[in-house]
Amino acid sequence: MVHFDPYDHATHDDPYPIYRELRDKAPVYYSETYKLWVLSRYDDCSRAVRDFKSFCNKYGVAIDEAKEQMPTVLTVDPPDHTRLRHLIAGMFTPDAVKPLEDSVRVMARELLAPHLESGRMDVIGDFAARLPMAIICRLLGFQREDEDKLRHWTDLVVQRDEAATEMPQHAITATLALYEYFEKDMAERARHPVKDDLVAHLMASEKEGKLSHAEVLGYLYILSIAGNETTTKLIGNMTYQLNKNRSELDLLLKDRSLLPSAVEETMRYDGPTQLMGRSLARDVEFHGQTLKAGDRAILLFMSANRDDRHYADPDRYDIRRNPRDHLGFGGGLHACLGAALARLEAKVAMEEILDAMPDFAVDEGGLSRMHSPSVRGYTHVPVQFTPSARAAHPSEGGRLA
Amino acid sequence: MPKVSYIEASGVQHIVDVGEQLSLMEGAVLNDVEGIVGLCGGICSCATCHCYIDDEWAAKLPTPSEGELTMLERAYDRRPNSRLGCQIAVTEMLDGLVVRLPAHQSND
Repeated sequence: MVHFDPYDHATHDDPYPIYRELRDKAPVYYSETYKLWVLSRYDDCSRAVRDFKSFCNKYGVAIDEAKEQMPTVLTVDPPDHTRLRHLIAGMFTPDAVKPLEDSVRVMARELLAPHLESGRMDVIGDFAARLPMAIICRLLGFQREDEDKLRHWTDLVVQRDEAATEMPQHAITATLALYEYFEKDMAERARHPVKDDLVAHLMASEKEGKLSHAEVLGYLYILSIAGNETTTKLIGNMTYQLNKNRSELDLLLKDRSLLPSAVEETMRYDGPTQLMGRSLARDVEFHGQTLKAGDRAILLFMSANRDDRHYADPDRYDIRRNPRDHLGFGGGLHACLGAALARLEAKVAMEEILDAMPDFAVDEGGLSRMHSPSVRGYTHVPVQFTPSARAAHPSEGGRLA
Repeated sequence: MPKVSYIEASGVQHIVDVGEQLSLMEGAVLNDVEGIVGLCGGICSCATCHCYIDDEWAAKLPTPSEGELTMLERAYDRRPNSRLGCQIAVTEMLDGLVVRLPAHQSND
């Protein structure tokens, strides 16, 4: 019998054999432990994300019970969802995020520079954990000196112990600290000239009656958290896969134009977001089984991405594949709003890593993994490389000059 | 509310009300028009809300951005009047708009 437990630490190490078993032997799996359905094939997950009238978001998307949550784009359905998403969707298209590329690059270089002379660094702790929050702070107009504090809180929000199946106290406390920070930031703005950033945009929309104050807080919360950890893990997973698949790394070193495709392939093959939860608003049938109204279900996106019914040779990491139909960012109306920004950050981050340390090698003994039922990736990816003197002149000699 | 007519490649026609400021992609998805997928949720990143706009309407639409044109390169059966539905906001001016859909979206 297939047994799948999204909280099991051993499963986090390598979930793919279990995902395959689910797809092949139990495509409509029911977990008695967590009282939820698990869909694991590409076609089924794809159908579910499109069928938002059956698979609704209003009871949350996490497996564990959320607490102290404000309404967010992730936890509402149309028409409220459409209204909320519309407010800022235009700020997250590839064209709209492109102007951030230089900032991402400058920050990436600033973060890499202090480590270049030593020839070793932790790709997560020294780099990938910091870059996304720096960009989010910039988008939201938060002070750079607050980055560490904000990152600490957002980390606490998502951190789970093995046995935890509901939001732990540390996560609730951090959630409340974030709300307090947002409230203070908005109050502070009332005393200064209007800024041109996302917070200002949301505050103006609240004034026009387009969203409630709780929805503004919910938006800031989700923007702070959603793009932070997942992007960090994406950069870590990509570093790991390129190290493991040296021929793919060589291809990339020879031809940087493959970078966007390599990012897509990493999202397909080893994307951080394993799954998303939904609740059934009405009965639906999959492979002769009925999922009933009121039931909970999870969509195993990372299993869908390895489905050989959809992808040829799915367990091969092939940076030339450029699979733009993967479910690494989810799909449908609730697909990741920040996907274009994540793609940009991952591309620039890897480009800078390849420039600064083309011969990097991951010290596999130093790898450590985070444990979460929904996000998979490393907390430490130590690398060694040939030291360079570029550290002394981080602002010189680059394409930005 | 503006009415939009979506015509599937099979000839099936859906005439639906689309709330102002919703995109053509959302108008289709919210009203169960099968021929539009909208995989990326409307951030101009997947080309699965590919549609054809009749000539008489094309001039009334804002011209496509560079990003939309780039994504359209991935669209199945691209034609001169191809657009991405997620990049077109429906307004009263577009009441009666006719949108034709391709036989496949790029992830079908």
